[in-house]
Amino acid sequence: MKTKVLLVGGRTKTKSLAASLIQKGYQVTVINNFYEDCLMLAQIDKLRVISGDGTKPFVLEDASASEADIAIALTSKDEDNLVICELCKKKFHVKKTVALVSDSRKTNFFYKMGIDSVVCAITVVTGIIEQQAFMEKISSLVPIGEGRVNIAEIPISETAPVVGKKLWEINLPKQVIVGCILRGDTTMVPRGDTRILAGDMLILISSGKQELAAIKELTGR
Amino acid sequence: MKLFKDKETHKDYTIIIGCGRLGASLANTLSDEDGNVLIIDKNKDSFRKLSPSFGGLSIAGDALDLDVLQEAQIDKASVLVAVTNNDNANIMLAQIAREMFQIQRVIVRLYDPDRKDVCREFGIDTICPAILSAKEIGKILINMPKKEYMEEEL
Repeated sequence: MKTKVLLVGGRTKTKSLAASLIQKGYQVTVINNFYEDCLMLAQIDKLRVISGDGTKPFVLEDASASEADIAIALTSKDEDNLVICELCKKKFHVKKTVALVSDSRKTNFFYKMGIDSVVCAITVVTGIIEQQAFMEKISSLVPIGEGRVNIAEIPISETAPVVGKKLWEINLPKQVIVGCILRGDTTMVPRGDTRILAGDMLILISSGKQELAAIKELTGR
Repeated sequence: MKLFKDKETHKDYTIIIGCGRLGASLANTLSDEDGNVLIIDKNKDSFRKLSPSFGGLSIAGDALDLDVLQEAQIDKASVLVAVTNNDNANIMLAQIAREMFQIQRVIVRLYDPDRKDVCREFGIDTICPAILSAKEIGKILINMPKKEYMEEEL
């Protein structure tokens, strides 16, 4: 049976999310409070669109929320997203609820209220912008656990100060480990006596915002 | 009316959010009864509804902003009443008050009675004007002789 996903609110986010979910084979229903947005969303093939206020229980009922496996609240208002997820969880017993939050300080509060997954768009976006703008040396950075932990790919150039050094000789911050080294076609989990060579790609796992200090130590910038 | 009696006996620090007709009259009543009251509203002009003798504090700002709640010293409040015209904001405020700041008594006005479910398990009291009004109108219809009822209507 197809996994049923319910998307509530949102405009462009919902449009691209719905299209991508349908392509992956999910059965998607969208609730939107604005008629114009509903018309825009209805252009997507196989998408069920319900026009109405998703924070009202009877609208959720119209959208058969009780049959949904995942409910995702994407409105621009934190309070609306909270109520949507709580209604889905408590009244319609949806297994998994996801809420978008704009105020990052409310993330923990949302989890406490029983929402399964809380996404703070602003934290994610500012993180990426910061990464793009200031750390061109890193090819990718994956935040985990609301950005408390980061996994980064660090390419080691010939001029890097750590070339030829053993791992234990490098003065890495405490909260950082080199989890893996990609060398040509081989991958290895390094030990303290593993030597870093030019052209290596280091997979760095860091917590507590230590990645900048670690990157500086590794690449000299 | 139990709500008023409780406040008379204690002299709590009460925070009211939303200075509409209900919020303002509640604030005026509590202030007249010598209670500690603070009222928050997004719109400064709303405070005109408070009586000239209002002796409490007022903050103009969005109560959903945690900074505004800190400024209101929410951690010292014993009662929080959320009566903005937005049901969802009221629900969120009540849950923040209850779960983040452990406020003893939290009362919420909800226009839509169907949303009550999400407040029940947190021990939040809800007031629904539609249900209260319906009950009162029902009472009037039962108790009032038909003639008087006609006069009232004119």
